[in-house]
Amino acid sequence: MTAIGARRLPGVNNVVRRLAGHLVRGFVMILVVTTISFVIIRHIPGDPLLARYESLVEKGMSPEQAQRATAALYGFLPRGTLWEQYLDYMRGLFHLNLGQSLSTPGVQVTTLLGSAVAWTIVPVLVGTLLSFMVGITVGVYAAMKRSGKLGDVLALSGSLLHGLPQYVLALLIAAIFTTLLPIFPSGGTADILFEPGFNAGYIGSLIQHAALPIVTYALASYGGWILAMKSSVVTVLGDDFILAAELRGLKRGIIFRYVARNAILPLFTILALSLGMLFGGAIFIERIFNYPGLGLLLINSITSRDYALMGGAFLLITVAIVVANIVADMLYTAIDPRVRSGGGTAS
Amino acid sequence: MKRLAVVAVLLALTSATACGGGGGSAADREGLYTTIDALKPGLDANAPINPYNPKGNAFLGYNAQWLGWTKNDLTDSDQFYPGVAESWKIAPHQSSITINLRPNGKWSDGAPITAEDVKFSIGLAYTQGGTAYALDPSAAGTASDIKIVNEHTIKITQSAKNPSNSFVQGVMQTFIVPEHVWAGALPADFWAKLKLAQSTAPGADAARAEITSLADKVIAFAPPKDVSAGPFTLARMNPGEALLVKNKNFYNAANVAPDKVKILNYTGNEQIWNYLISGQLDNAPFTALPADVMERIVQTSGNGVVQGYSPVGNALAFNQSKKPYDNVHVRRALAYLIDRKQVTKVASPEGGVAALTTSGMHQKAAEAWLGARFAALNPYRVDPAQAAKELEAAGMRKIDGKWTMPDGTPWKLTINVPASFSDWVAGAKAVTSQLNDAGIDAQVVTTADYPLYLQEIAAGKYDIGFWLVALGPSPYNIFQRLYGASNGWQLFGGRLKHVAPGKEGNWMGGPETIEVKGVGKVDPGELAVKLNSAPEAEQKKIIGILAEAANQDLPVIQMWDYVNTQFVNTTRFTGFPPNNSDTLRLTSGVWIQLGLIKRKQA
Repeated sequence: MTAIGARRLPGVNNVVRRLAGHLVRGFVMILVVTTISFVIIRHIPGDPLLARYESLVEKGMSPEQAQRATAALYGFLPRGTLWEQYLDYMRGLFHLNLGQSLSTPGVQVTTLLGSAVAWTIVPVLVGTLLSFMVGITVGVYAAMKRSGKLGDVLALSGSLLHGLPQYVLALLIAAIFTTLLPIFPSGGTADILFEPGFNAGYIGSLIQHAALPIVTYALASYGGWILAMKSSVVTVLGDDFILAAELRGLKRGIIFRYVARNAILPLFTILALSLGMLFGGAIFIERIFNYPGLGLLLINSITSRDYALMGGAFLLITVAIVVANIVADMLYTAIDPRVRSGGGTAS
Repeated sequence: MKRLAVVAVLLALTSATACGGGGGSAADREGLYTTIDALKPGLDANAPINPYNPKGNAFLGYNAQWLGWTKNDLTDSDQFYPGVAESWKIAPHQSSITINLRPNGKWSDGAPITAEDVKFSIGLAYTQGGTAYALDPSAAGTASDIKIVNEHTIKITQSAKNPSNSFVQGVMQTFIVPEHVWAGALPADFWAKLKLAQSTAPGADAARAEITSLADKVIAFAPPKDVSAGPFTLARMNPGEALLVKNKNFYNAANVAPDKVKILNYTGNEQIWNYLISGQLDNAPFTALPADVMERIVQTSGNGVVQGYSPVGNALAFNQSKKPYDNVHVRRALAYLIDRKQVTKVASPEGGVAALTTSGMHQKAAEAWLGARFAALNPYRVDPAQAAKELEAAGMRKIDGKWTMPDGTPWKLTINVPASFSDWVAGAKAVTSQLNDAGIDAQVVTTADYPLYLQEIAAGKYDIGFWLVALGPSPYNIFQRLYGASNGWQLFGGRLKHVAPGKEGNWMGGPETIEVKGVGKVDPGELAVKLNSAPEAEQKKIIGILAEAANQDLPVIQMWDYVNTQFVNTTRFTGFPPNNSDTLRLTSGVWIQLGLIKRKQA
């Protein structure tokens, strides 16, 4: 035990050191991105209160009444110089206080983000994992059968779906299933008539509302997985150790395991990164399906020039990407012995 | 793999259960009225049930009540249907209004609705400053005294310093909330502070500042539960929908046909189209839409369209600080070149009618106010020859078939529109196409979104832009669009001043005085302000002069008048207002509470 512990200790130390380095770099990165996004957000042209004033006048208020009613919202706008606003923002940030929303005055940005995040994570996570599992399976098959017609068809389907912009796919799916054949709802998370809770009606309604966004996420990323996996498998198939294994007469199952394990390595990294991107990658799909996740919240915050909410959404996306990068790197270390040992050659 | 298949089948079955019901069982859907709230695009389940919060989950006419509901009249904005007020008496010159509540009126929690609730609600309104409640004693049309006459009667007196014709409307549009729920939103010494704030005594400024500082608190106030004076109360919300259930204590509950109301979320017009095409909505207000979508909507079983007056017009507005638009002959030439019927046909075939001319008003309101004088205005019918004469009078030159500036330099006419307004973009393109045909090098430039558009137009960055005009029914509000702050006239503490073009929001840059045919030199801004307090006979006279001024001087060219087009579905409910009903600008919550909507009998 002691001997094993002694052998493992340097490895554990390496991991801890590596993780600490990542965390420090990640923290700095978050600070830098937060600062840059703060400055950019504060310089976005467009007056949020002018639009409010105009809408009150359009509803029949006199200009003076509308001015007074609009002025009641000034308290929710950031005050002071840009530098003072920045210091206030950072001070709040260290206390996990992102301020109050301007578009929903009086409600904390963290509350709004918290409500929206779940509606983004679940569909994107399910969609991404679904497309990953199907994509890599089909990718391996397409690589193995690359000289046959089926391989060509599978690769072509991957190329087509990969080349189709996400919003075009979403529009197509929405047009077919919510308008032409209206069998799915065109917005929302669940039918409000169902009492929220663990009951079949409510859960069914949740699934029904999430189905189209999930399918769109899955189809949008499926092509990429097929192509990446096919390419990776083809590369591995040409490696010397596979030739050696074949010459040694190893069983096909064992060779397949060799191939799959080596081919899937780079894809795990991409998977971890795409999970990080899932916080910000849902904008078009959520907008088209009127699905109230983080992407839709971000669009609405930009439209209403809700600076605090925009800042919060960008921060969340940044943190997610930084964390995903760290996870991807650590994961790669764990699953690829070459990286762990610091060497460039297989042992 | 087998386990996965079982899970998939179970999920499919559960989903199918939900699909089959279309949302709830048949019993759940019985008596359900589904709509959208045009005042609340983008529902927010986190928002408080607060009518003062822009995103608050208080839906006007459903669980949020005014004292009265303004009828859609062409000239009179002081006609109302009863809301929380059962009846009211307006004193001459709107010097005061006495409101009578229903003796047996109750909140949804059973507590009586009293004059104290109304007074408390007025206190809240003072913190917001809108409608009839300004802290500035010199502001126009503000309440100076609120007196409880008895438990169910309250009298509100208008300040005599600067009376306004919009006072009564401002009072009637007060949100009424229960004091026993909202008590924490105002300090105990509020009324003493208000009295001080309305005076000129020492400490008045501090008192005003203190009351103004309550605005945030009131806007953010979150009642623990919905206690409503309306026909419904909010039962629950999710990010996409709100469910309201019938308030059994509502005074007219026996005639409230729906048991439940479902309000759907939307963030864009296309979502409303989808709801309408799938027949989900019992009612939806009009939204800009292309002709083919309209066709599909009306093909859906039960769907129909109701139309009426909407005091809103669309116009091409000029920045007269920019050449050559400072020259009235150029503006007139453009009016003679633009075929407004054609533009309207392209831009707003369903929701607009081409403007007969430019008067600053919706043509229906103009006809009602001006009578035969409206027909005497120059209609600016399409007349290329007359347009050429006007351009020549402005010194413009035609070289190789293209109109140029007087010095021969190219004339590039640019129209700005917000990219998100599809009807405006289509309209601007139709206009530039016509102008290009007439030898004017014209183009459309879109701006990313409306907040940016408003900021840039106010900063004087555009030569020409689309602009909403004729925002009535109050004549004062109507002419403020042409001769108000955007054209240099500013009202401070009851005093009017004219600021130079390009300064303090004066982006239209028109002249301070205009020579009006048959009248002489007038200051249109001054006349427009007089509309706020003038008696009806004088209003008529002023409106005549301002309409003539707008018609001659063309600070804008009116393109089309909007038509209030509502979508209704008679599959589940009937009794929707007919065409031109005076209830058409009110929410369907008001139609329901007035007892107009009936369940369809099988």
